[in-house]
Amino acid sequence: MKKSAIFGLVVIAIAIAVIISVYSNSSTYGSFSDAQKTTSELHIVGHLNTTKKLYYDATRDANYFSFYMKDNKGEERKVVFTGTKPEDFERSEQLVLTGTMVGQEFHASKILMKCPSKYTQDKLEITEVKATQASI
Amino acid sequence: MDTVFKGEHLLPGQIGQFFIVLSFGAALLSFISYYFATTEDAGKNDSSWQRLGRIGFYINSVSILGMGVCLFYVIYNHYFEYHYAWAYTSRSLPVYYIVSGFWNGQEGGFLLWTFWQAVLGNILIWRAKSWERPVMTVIAFSQIVLATMVLGVEILGTRIGSSPFLLLRKALEAPIFQSPDYLSFIKDGQGMNPSLQNYWMIIHPPTLFLGFASMVVPFAYAVAGLWQKRYKDWVAPAIPYTLFACMILGTGVIMGSFWAYESLNFDGFWAWDPVENASIFPWITMVAALHVLIVYKNTGHSYFTATFLVLISFVLVWYSSFLSRSGILGDTSVHSFTDNGMFWQLVIGVLIFLVLSVVLLVARWKQLPITKKDEDTYSREFWMFVGSVFLGLSCFHLLVVTSVPVWNAMFGTKIAPPSDIIKHYNVIQSSFAFVVTILTGFTQFLKYKKTDVTRFFITTGLYLLFAALITALVVYATGVYKLNAVFILVMWGSVYSVVANAKILADALKGKFKLAGSAVAHIGFGLLLVGALIAAGTTNVISINNTGEGFSPEFAKEQNPRENIIVYRNQPVKMGNFLVTYTGDSISAPNHFFKVDYKEVDANGKVTNEFVLKPKVQVNKGQLASSPDTKHYLFHDMYTHITMSNAISATEGGAESAHDEADDDKNYDTPVSHTVAPGDTIKYRDGYILVKGLNKEAKVQNIPLSDSDVAIGANLEVVSHGNHYNVVPVYMIKNGNVFDFARKVDDAGLKLRFSKVIPENKKVEIMVYQQPESKKKFIVMKAIQFPYINFFWAGTIIMVIGFFMSILRRKKELKVV
Repeated sequence: MKKSAIFGLVVIAIAIAVIISVYSNSSTYGSFSDAQKTTSELHIVGHLNTTKKLYYDATRDANYFSFYMKDNKGEERKVVFTGTKPEDFERSEQLVLTGTMVGQEFHASKILMKCPSKYTQDKLEITEVKATQASI
Repeated sequence: MDTVFKGEHLLPGQIGQFFIVLSFGAALLSFISYYFATTEDAGKNDSSWQRLGRIGFYINSVSILGMGVCLFYVIYNHYFEYHYAWAYTSRSLPVYYIVSGFWNGQEGGFLLWTFWQAVLGNILIWRAKSWERPVMTVIAFSQIVLATMVLGVEILGTRIGSSPFLLLRKALEAPIFQSPDYLSFIKDGQGMNPSLQNYWMIIHPPTLFLGFASMVVPFAYAVAGLWQKRYKDWVAPAIPYTLFACMILGTGVIMGSFWAYESLNFDGFWAWDPVENASIFPWITMVAALHVLIVYKNTGHSYFTATFLVLISFVLVWYSSFLSRSGILGDTSVHSFTDNGMFWQLVIGVLIFLVLSVVLLVARWKQLPITKKDEDTYSREFWMFVGSVFLGLSCFHLLVVTSVPVWNAMFGTKIAPPSDIIKHYNVIQSSFAFVVTILTGFTQFLKYKKTDVTRFFITTGLYLLFAALITALVVYATGVYKLNAVFILVMWGSVYSVVANAKILADALKGKFKLAGSAVAHIGFGLLLVGALIAAGTTNVISINNTGEGFSPEFAKEQNPRENIIVYRNQPVKMGNFLVTYTGDSISAPNHFFKVDYKEVDANGKVTNEFVLKPKVQVNKGQLASSPDTKHYLFHDMYTHITMSNAISATEGGAESAHDEADDDKNYDTPVSHTVAPGDTIKYRDGYILVKGLNKEAKVQNIPLSDSDVAIGANLEVVSHGNHYNVVPVYMIKNGNVFDFARKVDDAGLKLRFSKVIPENKKVEIMVYQQPESKKKFIVMKAIQFPYINFFWAGTIIMVIGFFMSILRRKKELKVV
């Protein structure tokens, strides 16, 4: 066999190995109920429940942040994140969490948030001018 | 009936739009003319088609300049009736950021790209000689495609491209646009995202886009070579442009990395973010292409691979543009661009160049100079080829993982990227890097075509051994040995590459100067990897916080890296070898700087080194954006980043409401009264207060005292964490009424009142108000040590110098031939 043919086979073998390793390493998007069933890390897409309290108190623990998220199936869970509260968290429109369920809490190792106002900026702010009222 | 809107400046936009359409038309004219100049006037020296093509291209270049001037005029004069000016700039933006506001949006990015491509086109008209006609056909074609991206014209109900001169009232739907004087309500633009207000924003995008734009030149030569069946000739003139493209794109990408490291909160210099990855796809394949082009030039082997890599590099430029602009990365990237209705147009942009490449290769397949003979195993070319293929594979891996959202969109699957994506990339890319670096070393010792085998094995073996010794030393000293074995292998490969190429460089300086450029570039690449490995692998977070309370039993069980630490103002905290103190703030809107003092203390408690870092937080429209500050040393960097603080509010800069006294007391715990005489001390939570004496001549501003009035001040010295503060609260009897004037020590979180005089036993009463912990000023910060990161930056600079030297050499060769 020619040397270039052997080399070609090696390259194809590596390419296949790459695809397999990516595929076996890849995780899946799921819901909280999927996360309950597995111990491996999962990506969960959902949105912040703004009616419930976000908890972050740096004076007690600077690395503890908890909040409630509803996943795309409507299921809601308490989420705990080891770290500080991300800037503009309340404005997020969508959250992608990476992590695992521990008991009834979802422990996120990564939070990716989509803030519409930060990037598309297409939100009109109108300045309103009002006469100041004299106070007595 | 159309509403007439008041106060709009429509003229600059109309002129700008005219230039856009003109540039499109001129590019079309240039393309058609050059096409016929190539096909109809082949062999003729004087071609009127060619003249027309040139004119078309000149008009195209001038109209691009015109577009730029109009856009700048709009931004500079704050004409917020234009969406672009409104969305990306504001009145308070300094002039130099107005320049960068120019390329803040996607339209500006395309404008920059088409501008650089026009510049390169003009250089080619001037220099390309016999290649001008076919090469310029391709460049003009690329200009047409780019022009459609900013066209903003509706054809058959679909909007083609997105124009930077779009009016605000057409871009957004809002009821206020019903009113003819809507402009009087729009006082200011949205402004630039504060994290972009940085000098890197001024130079990084133009460099990056010059890199992307210059990828078109080798592509155009490759296409021209296939089209004109001049399979051999195109390589020599294309090599300098290939080198240039690699040099500039590499610089641009690393600039972005430096920017991220210096002023964004990525916690490092490379995050494997999809947008970052996308920007290096074309770089990797073009570097591979460069090596195979040289192989082909020297031996006549590997024609197909060389052409394929050049063609695919340009397709990947478009693909990376598609990834970052179409919004498809949605769930996986923190980088920002969202779809502005051009998804399918970007897909077409990628496909058009992909199809062109495939069709040409297939059409010419039978004629391609593919050699049947095998290459010599001990020739430099064979191993250069192998190395390039491995570069290609490394790009293939990046591409497969980064494109996960694309696969999901294409096949309807729901795969998520690997959960520990950084580790995944690091390990797999390092495996490729190991092979490539070893190849960049020993290949240099092989002769072109034929080598003395025994001698080669002996030298290679010696250098590998020598490199292994150095690697062992480095790995041990820096702690890299604690990492995955593959990183140690890369370290070995990189050190070997540096050592072997240093030898080549030494020989080159003695006379064989031709190889100097490649030796320098390879040394740079090796150093870059060494720096990246140590800095990323042994990153040392020193702000480890072990004081956290358990919030839930499950939470406490986990071994979490707790990397953020709370630091109260003027209360030093020990971190690693450092004593870290948050000493104060300085504010110059929109920047709020936090002064963080670092003292390095040795075993005897002596301060050996002290410096102050000023990380900042920017306030913009109620949003906070944090930027780190870094102390640079030759062998390591100390990086500090504020993740949170209560010393800054989103409304900072606005008027502060006046507090009344009763309200103010709410900020403190219940006061404690102490009856004391001069000389006594009062203990409190964070220290003690010394009563030094009473002074009868105390004065209070704006309150004149008559003879019957009394004002006494208590001279107090507050000692808190080694800091001393002197305060004088005042007790006053005026017109028979008793007043007292409290004094605050904000830094110590104290308010002190002189509330009573007890004449019987010559004592006074002092009331101590302490702020609760949560009301005291604090920052939550992260401090990271990056060891040896300077190798990374230095390696980049050396690599760029190497590219530049190679350009000079290849240009010289061109003249000789």
